[in-house]
Amino acid sequence: MSARTAIARGLAPVDAAAPCVRFERVSMVFRGQGGHPDVQALCDIGLTIREREFVSLIGPSGCGKSTLLRIIADLVLPSEGLASINGEPPRRARLGREIGCVFQEPALLEWRRVQDNIALPLELAGVGRDERAARTAELLELVGLKGFERAWPRQLSGGMRQRAAIARALATRPRVLLLDEPFGALDQITRDRLNMELVRICEATRATVLLVTHSIREAVLLSDRVVVMSPRPGRIIADLAIDLPRPRTLLTRDDGRYADLVQRGTSELERGYDGSER
Amino acid sequence: MTAASDRLAVELGAPSWLVAAWRLTWPPLVTALIVGGGWELLIWALEIPAYYIPAPSRIWQAFWANPGNLMVHAGITLLEAVSGCVIGSLLGAMLGTGFAYSPLLARGLLPYFIAANTIPVVAIAPIIILWFGHGIESKIAVTTFLSFFPLALNMMKGLQSYDRVIMDVFHVAAANPWQRFLKMRLPSALPYVFVGLKINVTFSVIGAIVAEFVQADRGLGFIIMTTYRSLNMPRLWAALFISALIGMVFFGIVNALERLAIPWHSSMRTDV
Ligand SMILES: Nc1ncnc2c1ncn2[C@@H]1O[C@H](COP(=O)(O)OP(=O)(O)OP(=O)(O)O)[C@@H](O)[C@H]1O
Ligand SMILES: [Mg+2]
Repeated sequence: MSARTAIARGLAPVDAAAPCVRFERVSMVFRGQGGHPDVQALCDIGLTIREREFVSLIGPSGCGKSTLLRIIADLVLPSEGLASINGEPPRRARLGREIGCVFQEPALLEWRRVQDNIALPLELAGVGRDERAARTAELLELVGLKGFERAWPRQLSGGMRQRAAIARALATRPRVLLLDEPFGALDQITRDRLNMELVRICEATRATVLLVTHSIREAVLLSDRVVVMSPRPGRIIADLAIDLPRPRTLLTRDDGRYADLVQRGTSELERGYDGSER
Repeated sequence: MTAASDRLAVELGAPSWLVAAWRLTWPPLVTALIVGGGWELLIWALEIPAYYIPAPSRIWQAFWANPGNLMVHAGITLLEAVSGCVIGSLLGAMLGTGFAYSPLLARGLLPYFIAANTIPVVAIAPIIILWFGHGIESKIAVTTFLSFFPLALNMMKGLQSYDRVIMDVFHVAAANPWQRFLKMRLPSALPYVFVGLKINVTFSVIGAIVAEFVQADRGLGFIIMTTYRSLNMPRLWAALFISALIGMVFFGIVNALERLAIPWHSSMRTDV
């Protein structure tokens, strides 16, 4: 990681950056089918994420976190309200290949070797063979999969598959990176290690990041902001600024403020649960 | 036994492909020797007449009495089976693609196709032969008819079996419909396509022979019919074995194609 990107991320006044991802009064209702009642997944979400900010979304299962990501990735349209990227509908950003997405599962194409999986978005964008090969080599290096370029996905471990999925999401140098619990299924130690790699990768790519996680510790360790959601229908109930110094390492956890922030996040989450019971 | 024979082969300086081929062939060879030997012994011991069950040695003799002639007939049956299988599979794949992309087309036609698929080949073959005449074309038409449905159904299922999250990956990467078909839906359909092809291989050999039963002046079905009438059972049995051999070779070719086409698929793992 270069010192310059670290400074750009840590020390530049965040407020000076332009808004990038924006939700305005977004609600989402899934129409029930075959006698099932409607499900209100999101309720009146307002959220602005600035250029190159790293924001984590945390909230109970089923509160609509994935739905929020799917809205900004132009995979679904909200029932109400507006979502935008750089002031344009998400569709524009998607067609401009400015969105990278890592889903809850790696979703690799089992008929393609690792290198061809990573190169897929470039191929779809019509990038030439030589340029594709060069970029793929770069990405393999970045996510630490060098030496596995010719492996089949089924020959990789779970963590390696997610790294391949991250490399694929980064292939077209997207300005917005959406990560939906990318390491959800991994053990704690592997997860910590991959999280640190994620910090490094995000600093290297200078993308705006929206990460969904179930771990408040992970959220605090990685983010500039942690957005806490209530149980369904999901609302934003807290928005914590994480002013820990960058670059973040595992040692950041020894910072006194880290424990405070985790504590605050946890109590906000719990407050959400209590509120929903009333 | 495998390990010992492998070591022996290596000491003798055999090339590795030969060792691999030997490893595949010796178990069925042993089976053939045991079954064939036992069969031969039983026939001699129980003095079973040759028209009832001929001994393997008699079948062998019947084959070598006029091997060229039998092989010509086998070639004709093979030609009928292969061309019908290829044409029927291609047409079936095309229609299956139509079904996968147009639910309305599938709903309108599928019930009738499934009904048509249950018609026994012996019932439909005379009609097809009536339409297409007495030549080889009518036999190819029968095998085409048989090969059509398995591929139409498997192609449809295969093209529908893509992973929804992978579809989302393609959507976010702004793929066009053609790219989705070529790079996602078609590759995920390939394992199904090979299931259909393997069914067709068997069906089309059976179909060709049944069609020759109905009407023919050449082919293995013709040999089987005529030798049965003259009670030349050893020659009939020889034709029977050749037809099985044709099926095996044909199946082997499709298997090899499958290995080439979908080496990534879990059914292709070499460690089992
Ligand atoms: N396509 C859909 N059709 C109907 N309901 C849906 C659909 N997608 C999501 N939902 C509902 O919307 C709610 C929110 O789902 P979502 O996947 O966004 O939750 P989540 O916060 O990501 O949960 P988790 O943490 O378990 O992944 C759930 O109650 C779910 O049942
Ligand atoms: Mg989710």
